[in-house]
Amino acid sequence: MIDFSVYYPREKDVFARKCPGCGTLYYPAPMVCKKCHSRRDPSGAFFSEWEKVSLGGLKGKLLTWTKLYNLPKGFNQRYLLFGIVELENGLRATGRLSVEHPKTGMDVVARVGLVREKIDEDVYGFIFEKL
Amino acid sequence: MRKIAITGIGHTVFGNLSDFDLVDIMAYASLDAMEDAGILDKRDIIEQVIVSNMGAGILNHQTGIASSLVSRLGLEPAMAELVENGPASGGSAIKIGFMAIASGFVDVVMVTGGEVMRGVTGWEATDFVATLLHPEAEYNYGLTLPAFGGMYTRMYMEKYGLTEKDLALIAVKDHENGSKNPYAHVKVPCTLEGIFESPDADVVNNPIAEPLRLYGMCPVSDGAASIIMCAADSPKMKYFTQKAPVYIVGVGSATDTHCIHQRENPLELKAVRKSAEMAFKMAGLNPGDISFAELHDAFVILEVAISEEIGFFNRGKAKEAIRRGETRINGRLPLNTSGGLKAKGHPLGATGVSQVHELVKQLRGEAEEGRQVKNPKHGLAVNFGGFGNNVVTIICSKG
Repeated sequence: MIDFSVYYPREKDVFARKCPGCGTLYYPAPMVCKKCHSRRDPSGAFFSEWEKVSLGGLKGKLLTWTKLYNLPKGFNQRYLLFGIVELENGLRATGRLSVEHPKTGMDVVARVGLVREKIDEDVYGFIFEKL
Repeated sequence: MRKIAITGIGHTVFGNLSDFDLVDIMAYASLDAMEDAGILDKRDIIEQVIVSNMGAGILNHQTGIASSLVSRLGLEPAMAELVENGPASGGSAIKIGFMAIASGFVDVVMVTGGEVMRGVTGWEATDFVATLLHPEAEYNYGLTLPAFGGMYTRMYMEKYGLTEKDLALIAVKDHENGSKNPYAHVKVPCTLEGIFESPDADVVNNPIAEPLRLYGMCPVSDGAASIIMCAADSPKMKYFTQKAPVYIVGVGSATDTHCIHQRENPLELKAVRKSAEMAFKMAGLNPGDISFAELHDAFVILEVAISEEIGFFNRGKAKEAIRRGETRINGRLPLNTSGGLKAKGHPLGATGVSQVHELVKQLRGEAEEGRQVKNPKHGLAVNFGGFGNNVVTIICSKG
């Protein structure tokens, strides 16, 4: 049986995956490399899972951001800030922004923290902070 | 390829219809389309029914709604299928109906799109729409479609100098059109003073996903729309004598990355451009030939971005046309003559069908006073799914 629990981001880090065929980094990872067509197998049953590359703690630049007042079910805050960041390794990531007065282009660091609490499941993800 | 005519159209009012059953609402629009086509008593000529809907399974606890609709309309044994393609479900369903007729498989297809979203709370509806996003890299954070609308708007404004006033001008234009559309969810016009200039504007037009405000985004709506299509070379065309046919002359669709941050240039809407290029090529038309358009303005910025991506304006230049009033109903290129998603409303699965309904209404010259485009020849609709990861473009022409 294939263990799908590998999909749940429960670890206190966020990972990119590195294609074993050509070394391209992906976040999030596809099931097949767009460049060299190597297959990825999260179950490890037929092909290898790709190498994890930690993204937590990387520096980056804020590309854009928003302050969201109408949050979806499951969030009790008055508002949350979100941003898209270009990381120092060239990858981009979307996540929570913990900067009260953000400015596009500012330097941030990609900390990892609790972003969603569900019953029996804490979800960790990016919380970008001012560098 | 076979020439395909739209021979009947139907539409319910958009708004809060949550007291009614989703399939009943879709039946209203379908029966209106049959009446409009003049085939209510001969409706067994419809060979295939394609339903577009995004959330019945989750929002209404109903599945298999295409079969259910056929039965409620007494159309058995017509074929029935459901198309779920996010907010582009309607455009996709029309495309699939078009393909079914073009291939020679059938001659007469009815496409009905419907959605009932207001039976759940606003934060449940927001969460439901957000399930479109990447589960691990986007949805988990509490990100929503409006959040991406806001981030896209900021990127665009900072790059091209679009202002909050420009965004307000689009809302004023959409509400002006919507106020004359009997099907619109929001029929109240608004003024630049009320939503932008006055000291109260910050309260009336409060921020939702900065820099987007309330008047920068569509409401959560219920409703349905329906069209009937027939092959122009089919002997069954003899049943459709009530209205002059409008033809579907161009169809295109394309996809883009699921994750927005994985796009080379996150400002570029590649699926929009590709789908429009396909539709223009099939139609043998250019952007300059289009008389008016319905562009998927779930957020007003999308009217701007889509209009540039499909070639109506050069990149960064749509704002000048907006400031000159060129996109208003009497302007050079009227956009969102129905009020758009902004004012007409956005019942997800109904939207793409409703856009084509508007193209037909305008091309027939049947739009209400004050929102009829003068002598239009070709109309274009862009139905945008996800945040641009699945887009359908449809071009219709007068016979």
